Amino acid sequence: MTAVEKLEVVDTPEVPASQPGLFRRAWALPRAKLGAALTAAVVLVAVLGPWLGPVITGHDPTDFAGKPFKHDGIAGTDGIGRDVLTRFLAGGSTLLLYAVLATAIGIVLGAAVGMFAGYSGGRLDGVVMRGNDVLLSFPQLVFALLAIAMIGPHGWLLVTVIGVTHAPRIARVARQATVAVVASDYIRAAEMYGVPRWRILTGEVLPNITGPLMVELGLRLTYSIGYVASLSFLGLGIQPPTADWGLMINENRIALIVQPWGVLLPVLAIAVLTVGTNLITDALASAAAREEAR
Amino acid sequence: MTRLIIRRLVVSLAVLWLVTLLVFIATLLLPGDPARAILGQQATPERVAALQHQLNLDAPVWERYLDWLGGVLTGDLGFSTSTQGSVNSLLGDRIVASLVLLVAAAVISTAVGLALGTWTAIRRGRAVDHTVSGISLVIAALPEFVIGMALIILLSTTVFRIFPSVTLTRPGAQVWSEPGQLVLPVLTLVLVVTPYITRMMRATMSEVLDSGFVEMARLKGLRERTVIVRHAFPHAIGPVAQVIALQLAWLAGGVVVVEFLFRYPGIGQALIDAVNKRDVEVVQAITLLIAAMYIVVNLLADIVGIVTNPKVAAR
Amino acid sequence: MKPSFTRRGFLAGTAALLAATPVLSSCGTSAATAAPTGAPRRGGTLRVGITGGGSSDTLDPHIPTSSPDIARTLNLYEPLLGRDRDYKLEMLVAQSVTASADARTWTAVLRDGVRFHDGRPVTPADVVATFRRITDPKDPKNGAASLGMLTEVVPVGANAVEFRLSEPTAIFDDYLGQYPLGIVPADFDVKKPVGTGPFRVSTFTPGLQSEFVRNEHYWRPGEPYLDSLVLIDFTADDARINALLSSQVDAIDQVPLALVDVLGSDPRMRILTSETGTWLPFTMRVDRPPFDDVRVRQAMRLIVDREQMITQVLSGQGRLGNDLYAPFDPAYAADLPQREQDIPKARRLLAEAGQENMTVELVTAPVQAGAVEAAQVFQQQAKAAGVTVRINKVDTTTFYGDDYLSWDFAQDFWYTRNYLPQVAQCATPDAPYNETHFHDPEFLDLVGRASSTMDPSARDELLKQAQRIEYERGGYIIWGFANQVDAYQVYVAGLAPSRTGLPLSGYQFRQAWLG
Repeated sequence: MTAVEKLEVVDTPEVPASQPGLFRRAWALPRAKLGAALTAAVVLVAVLGPWLGPVITGHDPTDFAGKPFKHDGIAGTDGIGRDVLTRFLAGGSTLLLYAVLATAIGIVLGAAVGMFAGYSGGRLDGVVMRGNDVLLSFPQLVFALLAIAMIGPHGWLLVTVIGVTHAPRIARVARQATVAVVASDYIRAAEMYGVPRWRILTGEVLPNITGPLMVELGLRLTYSIGYVASLSFLGLGIQPPTADWGLMINENRIALIVQPWGVLLPVLAIAVLTVGTNLITDALASAAAREEAR
Repeated sequence: MTRLIIRRLVVSLAVLWLVTLLVFIATLLLPGDPARAILGQQATPERVAALQHQLNLDAPVWERYLDWLGGVLTGDLGFSTSTQGSVNSLLGDRIVASLVLLVAAAVISTAVGLALGTWTAIRRGRAVDHTVSGISLVIAALPEFVIGMALIILLSTTVFRIFPSVTLTRPGAQVWSEPGQLVLPVLTLVLVVTPYITRMMRATMSEVLDSGFVEMARLKGLRERTVIVRHAFPHAIGPVAQVIALQLAWLAGGVVVVEFLFRYPGIGQALIDAVNKRDVEVVQAITLLIAAMYIVVNLLADIVGIVTNPKVAAR
Repeated sequence: MKPSFTRRGFLAGTAALLAATPVLSSCGTSAATAAPTGAPRRGGTLRVGITGGGSSDTLDPHIPTSSPDIARTLNLYEPLLGRDRDYKLEMLVAQSVTASADARTWTAVLRDGVRFHDGRPVTPADVVATFRRITDPKDPKNGAASLGMLTEVVPVGANAVEFRLSEPTAIFDDYLGQYPLGIVPADFDVKKPVGTGPFRVSTFTPGLQSEFVRNEHYWRPGEPYLDSLVLIDFTADDARINALLSSQVDAIDQVPLALVDVLGSDPRMRILTSETGTWLPFTMRVDRPPFDDVRVRQAMRLIVDREQMITQVLSGQGRLGNDLYAPFDPAYAADLPQREQDIPKARRLLAEAGQENMTVELVTAPVQAGAVEAAQVFQQQAKAAGVTVRINKVDTTTFYGDDYLSWDFAQDFWYTRNYLPQVAQCATPDAPYNETHFHDPEFLDLVGRASSTMDPSARDELLKQAQRIEYERGGYIIWGFANQVDAYQVYVAGLAPSRTGLPLSGYQFRQAWLG
């Protein structure tokens, strides 16, 4: 886990985390390079895979390569005889897309709400954060489960619901960071000059809270990947016949004792991807924390 | 400080009540209806109408909500349309089964996390520290069903074949009658949660070990072990307790996917079944239970945080 | 590099699994690796793992919904007639069932010596009460749908009943021979259920299991051989298979077809394969565009590669279908040419109908193993003809919800039936499950006449003509008949393949015994 958890339970930092040096400092850490390498590897597979797959194996993701759960082909066949390797190579792009979109929605919503609450202070702050608490009182997955069961496993719903469940957690972090910034002189000066609030938020506050926000971004992306995959695994996410890693794991696990590749490959891909993003996030968090410590 | 605690308590109760409202409304929006869910393919319009009347599904919505809420407050979680029996009897064993997992996971992960955290704090900067940190980072990144699946592949079906990958309990027997089947689900939960505890403990313990009074204790000539156990540890516990509480709160929701993965007969499975059968009162009851546990544990975490925060406690 | 799955590895793994499971089942295990021979031995408990079930499990004989319900019904209760393993009618509680000359009155003579679980003999009053319960207009049961022509049931003498029908029905005995029509006493109470079946209830936990013990008053001499029978619900395939492999159960139904080879290679197991009349059709509503144009329906039927369906969906465990149901009916139109995939003709038909490159939505749900898979295979096959199939996968509850029977293009699942009973279920305006909304007047005239034709060969002739109409312009795509594959431990004897489509000898455990 990253030091951002510490941020949540410890006093707010005295000095805003300044942004310019953050990425440079983070990159200096070996974890960042390793994380970037792992993430890039899986992203490459996810993005190029759909095109590369048929070239390598000669099958489309929905072609039939042999009898179900047999060892025809490089990695065997799945439950209705499709080629596992082709489906594996095609199975990351939708997952990645949904995870990125969900994270983006979460960050935008959460940062906006958090900054607004942190800047407004007083009663408004209290009310918004109470409302936030209600949304936080639900485990994210259970919320998604119910929403999708109600409305159906549509892509847009998946993305929205996960994004919306991220937002309160991001809002908390954004608010905390904003509160630390708000008391400083240049904000006061801008207010005295009559700069409109939204201008202050985007122009003065936002650049100064990017440290914690970047860390949250990395964290939420890691979780988003996990949630999209988990929901597909439960059957509530990406639907057949689309090839998807989470879905493949559930479809193929009945045959683990016979043909493990249908499960092994997607498990490895998701694992490497999330480890990669988490390493990067951790490097960012270390760099941000180091800035505070000065 | 007491005032702060009471305020948090009141807010938590308000949040809990709002949650019941949201849950009730949400389950009403589930498409399909319980009568059809029970009758399956045999549902003719007459039989559906008859069953709906029998199950009191044609009463007005607010009346059904108040009935339900009143029941919950007196300990009656409602009526299950799919068993035609009380939700309490449906969930009784399942709650126990889930608690077995959660308590085992909580105890083991706390113990291991605190121990590992302390150990790596003592050996800060050395190889052991880096290794444990690295492994923690890796495990913390993985979604819980990936951890579970990896454990199944490793220990159950493909590499070694030691533990069963699904719950094998004879129906009616308790889940602990075959402890072998508890290993993988508990291990999965432990692996998800321990890294955070370890990391937090390490960070806090490091600070404490550097602090003045620990130095004093050392200067007094006390043995290192006494220093750590009697002087450092109690001071490190405060912030870590909060993290532990937060992780345990997470377990309440995380248990759903793990139970689904291992076919474990707990409330997570029951929730998925109930959603599929449109058994509204069971969905409400389980969601409420999970949310309540989440809120209560978060409240405890907050209280611990307030109590141990030197700034607040000093007032 | 691929992990090799050797038999030794598998066995070693299973042994490890057994070793790690401290509680081994006590009753019914044996170290034998050869099938039992000789005369059946009395005694023992058979534990069976059955797919499905849940908290809505019931002991009611007339509303079985899930597979465990059906298994319970078949062992606790008996109708007047039943189906044997070859799907022929056999006499159960009735000793004979005969029709009047005009086929409007049927007389069932009750068998001597049939007693309920509590020892009371079956009387005509009980039969009358049973049918009244089934056809109660305020709460009609499953079987009521096919008894629409029944006006009253009247006791005759001390041991017979008369069924009076509103119209001549040549095959009424076929309708009587269905498993949800078990005979119960006039004072039947589902909380203390009593029937005439080979077993009676000992304990029952919905969603978990039921335990039955031998009915000492059972009318078949010597049967059942087992002292007791335990039926255990399993919603998940892997849990069920694991239970068999770790000897927690002695038999399971519905082995996933892709895993048949794996189980079969284990010397402790036997596989039971039955050829059945179970069909998993695609259903097209003939009254809605684009399927209201018969050319479109014919094109869709020509798109299907039936062999590939059986290979990919059933792992080869099935027989070709020819868009006709009821394969075991003597009147089955086997002479109609077997349809095969013909993409050029399909394209031509679609073009003629103005539906080139059409897009359709197919609603599918896991109503039965293979349903969602078949949908995906069909979607793939349709591409060759320029047809884009969009799959809308819903859960089973939604599938059987408000829109069931209204979807333009969907699927469904049927066990084996004979022709006219199946028609009554799905091909007439009054049928409860007419997914295709098939209301063809010429067809209805033919089946109506056949229904009242007493002479079997004349009737068969009419039915063949009716089938020809369905073959040419019906709304079903029936690509195959799935085999039923079950598995049991080698020491279990008395299980045999059954054409009914119901697993494990049609769930008939009265002839099972443990060696």
